[in-house]
Amino acid sequence: MFKIFQRLWQVNWAEQWQYRANLIMYLLYWLVSPIIYLAVWTSIANSKGSVNGFTANDFVTYYMTLLVVDQVTSNIVIHTFAYKVQDGTLAGELIRPIHPMLTNALVNNIAFKALTIIGFIPVWIILFFLYKPDYSHLTLTGILVAIPAMIIGFLVGFLLSAAITSLAFWTTRVYSIHEFYYAMILLFSGQFVPLPLMPKLIQDVAQYLPFQLLIYFPIQLILGKLSNAQIVQGYVTGTIWLVVAISVFNWIWRNGVKRFSAVGA
Amino acid sequence: MSSPTILVENLSKTYQVPEREGGFGAAVRSFFKRKHKDVKAVQEVNFKIAQGEIVGFLGPNGAGKTTTLKMLSGLLHPTGGNANVLGFTPWELRPEYLRSMTLVMGQRNRLSWDIPAADSFLLNQAIYRLPDDEYQKTYKELDELLELEPLMKKPVRNLSLGERMKCEIAAGLLHRPKVLFLDEPTIGLDITGQARIREFLREYNRRTGATILLTSHYMADVTALCERIIIIHHGILKYDGGINDLSRKIAPFKLIGVRLAETNSHDLRKYGTPVQNEEDWEKQYIQVKAEDVTRITSGLLADLPIHDITITDPPIEDVIEQAFNQ
Repeated sequence: MFKIFQRLWQVNWAEQWQYRANLIMYLLYWLVSPIIYLAVWTSIANSKGSVNGFTANDFVTYYMTLLVVDQVTSNIVIHTFAYKVQDGTLAGELIRPIHPMLTNALVNNIAFKALTIIGFIPVWIILFFLYKPDYSHLTLTGILVAIPAMIIGFLVGFLLSAAITSLAFWTTRVYSIHEFYYAMILLFSGQFVPLPLMPKLIQDVAQYLPFQLLIYFPIQLILGKLSNAQIVQGYVTGTIWLVVAISVFNWIWRNGVKRFSAVGA
Repeated sequence: MSSPTILVENLSKTYQVPEREGGFGAAVRSFFKRKHKDVKAVQEVNFKIAQGEIVGFLGPNGAGKTTTLKMLSGLLHPTGGNANVLGFTPWELRPEYLRSMTLVMGQRNRLSWDIPAADSFLLNQAIYRLPDDEYQKTYKELDELLELEPLMKKPVRNLSLGERMKCEIAAGLLHRPKVLFLDEPTIGLDITGQARIREFLREYNRRTGATILLTSHYMADVTALCERIIIIHHGILKYDGGINDLSRKIAPFKLIGVRLAETNSHDLRKYGTPVQNEEDWEKQYIQVKAEDVTRITSGLLADLPIHDITITDPPIEDVIEQAFNQ
């Protein structure tokens, strides 16, 4: 199994490398919105002193951390997979004795991330010197505790995106469904607005939804802002959502493949 | 002989195709109530293939050949009947089954376009869990038969059609499948390329005892490789038997195409049955019995101001149409 992933990695890395210029453009596009939120919130906080107790530097630290977390937890599976269902090229992958989504597409996403880091690091360093986030409270424990959370966040996000992508077996409108899902992420993950600034109701709902696992929960872990009880609660929520995401994905995938083979590949 | 390698019983596939007239009104109506038309692609087909056989699967476009191959390789669920290949029900897509068969279909299948074929081959080695020595041995054999080595390092997109087909077939055979489903393995290749692939398949079959079911548009593929032929037309099995019996059944015809020096068309009807050829409108075509070709050709050359003359086999579609549709 390890060898399969190793070879998949070589192939996907080589493929992605062919499109490196494209990927860097895609990365810059991807970075635009968090950087805008960063700029907007810091200037608001600067003009008012603080927003609900969030100072300008709190926003800077929050969004600079968000850029890192998002780089780890986000995925592009909708863009690299849905078309294969629609134009039928998935057929070739379906008759190989490995799972197309959980092996090839997964590795492809990771290779994409590994490659875009090359573009990501210089951008982040420039922003670091421009905005000077306050990382004086950063601890090694905080980072170590956050790493498994980011992996869970990535897996939950990947599986949910993969489940939505698999709707391509039924509808060609899967891109707009995914857009809606992405809007949910923006709202409930703490990307658009740090969650504590949201209305109480949304905060209460958000902590049970999977979206904060992708952004807010890892950020708070890195910045050391959570009590032990909150850390445990976050991990329990994460594990539950991981199980849910696996089941949902599996169910949609299986029925999708059945449908694919019913209507003609 | 024990149980057959491929067993097909009453296999049927009916596609539901959405149907809609053009225009805005129809578009709106179809939003609320979709009309479907049933297309019977394969109807109650039965056959058995024993281990080591090479069987040619013939039929015009849309006859149901590819649909049948897709069902046998597991890509399609049938709407009726059953199939059993190597003891497996194909559409359950069991990994053990996928590891023991191959489907080569068209030009884009197992190879990634952006990277050299060598990388895709190594990936296949891992996917099919082939030990290094076994993989090297198979690769060497394939290289010997198909001369792969010079193609391995170039990105697949830079290979010619024939080179790509060679690599596709090789990639599909690295795991030494016991059953091969080949959909038009020689399509788009020139005569030498076609001959090469044929030779290779015969040799592979001889060496490994693999069972091969292949579809083709080219009668030559089939006559060169297969002793047994299955013909399917409009989804119905029309013939299953030896190739020699088939040639007796099908009246042998040839097509004579002539381009005349003068544009005004002479009446060729007295030489043979005129036929349309949409691909070549410069020539007029007539169909004649094979044994009369020499006589009629010399007659034509003597009587008419001829610029160019060709003698070809009629397309397989026409042959089957004539043999089974009367």
